[in-house]
Amino acid sequence: MVTESQLKEALRSWLSQKNPAVPVETIGDDTPLIDQRLLTSIQVMDLALFLEDLRGEPLDMTRLRAGAFSSINAIWSTFFAGVSA
Amino acid sequence: MSETLEIPGLTWRPNGQSVLSGDLLALYRDLDGGFRWLAEQSRALEMDVPPLFPAEALQRIDYFSSFPHLATFACVHADEPENLKAFAREPWNSQGDELRLGTLAPTQNVLTPAACYHVYLDHAGSRLEAPLYVTLCAKCFRRETHYQPLRRQWAFNMREVVCLGKPEEVKAFLARHRMVMQRLASHLDLACEFEHATDPFFNPGASGKHLMQRVDPVKEELVFSHSLAIGSLNYHRSTFGEAFEIQRDGEPVHTGCVAFGMERWLFALVSVHGVLEARKRVSGWLSTPHQVMEGLAH
Repeated sequence: MVTESQLKEALRSWLSQKNPAVPVETIGDDTPLIDQRLLTSIQVMDLALFLEDLRGEPLDMTRLRAGAFSSINAIWSTFFAGVSA
Repeated sequence: MSETLEIPGLTWRPNGQSVLSGDLLALYRDLDGGFRWLAEQSRALEMDVPPLFPAEALQRIDYFSSFPHLATFACVHADEPENLKAFAREPWNSQGDELRLGTLAPTQNVLTPAACYHVYLDHAGSRLEAPLYVTLCAKCFRRETHYQPLRRQWAFNMREVVCLGKPEEVKAFLARHRMVMQRLASHLDLACEFEHATDPFFNPGASGKHLMQRVDPVKEELVFSHSLAIGSLNYHRSTFGEAFEIQRDGEPVHTGCVAFGMERWLFALVSVHGVLEARKRVSGWLSTPHQVMEGLAH
């Protein structure tokens, strides 16, 4: 299981690859990913697969609720915090 | 509930359509008059739209990937005389229960699947300098696996009020109408609650749009009696602004719509009050409509 800092840097890197016009340093832990169009419906399935790779197991679908992908912090707290060893 | 529904003035056609007459039709018209009055409070431009919608315009929003199971296509025969003669000679299959179509011409149109799509197409390429509000009632067509009178129809009427503007303008519009819809349902003694909802995507488990709607709810339905969505509030962000190149202050416009399923409102009203009492209730609302809007000035 990845650490919090590893997860956040991996996410920042993934988001930067998907949005090459956006400087990576502008993507903060609380940057609203959907409101700022850093994450769209075209990319969201890829993000789910990327998170599964990082977790090493399928995502808990019951956690896919409102706000789950709203920011890097939200992704950490929804799918990783309290799950890691 | 039973597939048959005994309501004076309602004739059910098993191909998923209702015929309204008498007091039930009068109730429908009064109700729509009330919704139009609500739209007027937003100074909404009124549109009257045709039933056919260009498939090319739906392609811009990936409609056919998202909802291939719902589309109803406007098909015609190819013009070749032999093709038409063959069909004219023997239009039915051997059982006599289905048409035996000949070669079809290329299909470029579908029957309108949602009222508000006409608004975006009609304003394609526009540059807006102020929020724009539009209202329309369209006959909409959605192919379903089964139909129920007034509740689930192949052809149904949808009254919508649409807002095109900046994100904050659209969000304020939807918030205002959320309160209006709650007050109206309460005023008419309809037991309703708002619930988050997703659109009926084909193969939702493989749909990025469905997943996005789960993690970023942009649709709320007004649900009657815990079972029937009679209205909805929808925030599309800039989906239609980008697809139809509509801009507001140099940015793709954001859009949102308030939708009233007309036949479903009829069902809710009549099941609670009966036709005549429902007419009285709606007439009462129309005689003092400001009660519902009080404190919600635009």
